[in-house]
Amino acid sequence: MAARKAKSADSGAPDTSALPFEEAIEQLEHVVDQLEDGALDLEASLVAFERGVALSRRCSEQLDAAERRIEVLVEAGGETLVRPLQGEGDPD
Amino acid sequence: MTPPEQPVEAGSRERRVYSVGDLLRGLRALVEDSVGRVWVAGETSNLYAAQAGHHYFTLKDGDGQIRCALFRNDARRLPFELENGLELLLLAEPSIYEVRGELQLIVREVEPRGEGALQLAFEQLRRRLEAEGLFDESLKRPLPTHPRRIGLVTSPGAAALRDVIQVSGRRWPSTPLLLSPTRVQGDGAELEIAAALRRVVEQPEVDVVLVVRGGGSLEDLWCFNTEPVVRAIAGSPVPIVSGVGHETDFSLADLAADHRAPTPSAAAMLALPDREALRDGLSAAQQRLLSAARGTLAGRAERLERGLAALRVLAPSARLHAQQGRLRAARRALWRAVETDRGTRRLRVQRAVERLSARRPSTDAFRAREAAARRALSSAIARNLEGRGARLATLAARLDSLSPLAVLGRGYAVARRSDTGRIIEGPEDIEAGESLVVRVARAHVEAKAISVDPVDDSTT
Repeated sequence: MAARKAKSADSGAPDTSALPFEEAIEQLEHVVDQLEDGALDLEASLVAFERGVALSRRCSEQLDAAERRIEVLVEAGGETLVRPLQGEGDPD
Repeated sequence: MTPPEQPVEAGSRERRVYSVGDLLRGLRALVEDSVGRVWVAGETSNLYAAQAGHHYFTLKDGDGQIRCALFRNDARRLPFELENGLELLLLAEPSIYEVRGELQLIVREVEPRGEGALQLAFEQLRRRLEAEGLFDESLKRPLPTHPRRIGLVTSPGAAALRDVIQVSGRRWPSTPLLLSPTRVQGDGAELEIAAALRRVVEQPEVDVVLVVRGGGSLEDLWCFNTEPVVRAIAGSPVPIVSGVGHETDFSLADLAADHRAPTPSAAAMLALPDREALRDGLSAAQQRLLSAARGTLAGRAERLERGLAALRVLAPSARLHAQQGRLRAARRALWRAVETDRGTRRLRVQRAVERLSARRPSTDAFRAREAAARRALSSAIARNLEGRGARLATLAARLDSLSPLAVLGRGYAVARRSDTGRIIEGPEDIEAGESLVVRVARAHVEAKAISVDPVDDSTT
């Protein structure tokens, strides 16, 4: 996980590519609030805007993720294993 | 024992005398054979539950009472507990308890009067577990808004599972689901459900569990009204959503769970956010982001534009005009000054010569003096000219530094239209394809405009 926490060149803020949706949208709201307040200087405003774009893209990614993962617990030899669920229970 | 065949005749010396035991034995057989099984209704009291599992109580109504015995094997089949004060229907065999000479009912089946046995059992269990605090509101936990992994406790073949999978696919398809399969009705199902629940809450990342099954009768749903299931739910380290049966069915599992849903689909909806609704929210945030950024830049662009407008007054093109004019005027004045001065000097020399000539002194001395005077004058003029020249050079140098030409030397260029010579400042002054002349420091460049793009100071 440490490798993924690369800092962006300008802002020193953490990488947005692994943020869960909840955090990304919260940070996006924060960026928008900052820009709307107008208290940032021009350089900082542009950096904030770029970060806002990255966060917004991350949120869209999460919203559009459609890949399903449906598994079942199976008892085998005294152990509990996780297996993908076959057939039954997968409409769409 | 054979019962007495004939009553003893009064006065006869022959009597048939029975022992108490014999009498009771005989009466017992009489009772058992002649009555058999009957349904009796009454209220329970004086309940005594023996350690061996047998129950003894009194069944009474306004007219009388009778002792009852419910033996262990029959008691085990009861879904509810025997209590005092219950109105019951008993299927019983009247008999005599010989040891005490008491009439008693041997109870074979028990039904609550007024409500079903299961309902009674439900009420009894609910009261008992509620008293333990297992259903307290304060124990209910909030659900995670974006669960990392959802556990499902239900039957693998049932519609409930398909419903949950379908609904979750609509709401937030990328959330992993983990099924912990179990029977959801029948004898012993409650123990399987409890075990399945305990197994799934241990799995990594599971932060909410749905316990669901479709609709059914009270008997079908009964396993969700049992102590093992309630305790497993109450003891879960993660929040539980129960969705058992139809809208109106309320189970003890529902009371123990952190959240109750009317159906399995509703349970899935409680557990997952609706991505369509969030998509709208995201669009709104994106719009605000763009507007805010544009607003910030527009504000700054305005300030920059005002500054540039002020600068333009001082800008090279305006200054060039002004400087050129000043330079020309200064040069004219300077040469005029120099000219006039030379003229004045010439005049003075001429007059001096004329005066000298008029006085006619010794020509040799005069000529020597004249020559000397001329030489002095020449050098004076020369010195004067040098001085002027030096001053001119200085002035010129100073003018140069102010001159637009020096500005050009710093890299600025002046572009004019070829046809009118009008200085080009903006897209309104020149079009693509038109000719222009560019004055740079040391050249005039004939050029043709390829494209004209307005400089928009609001982007960087």
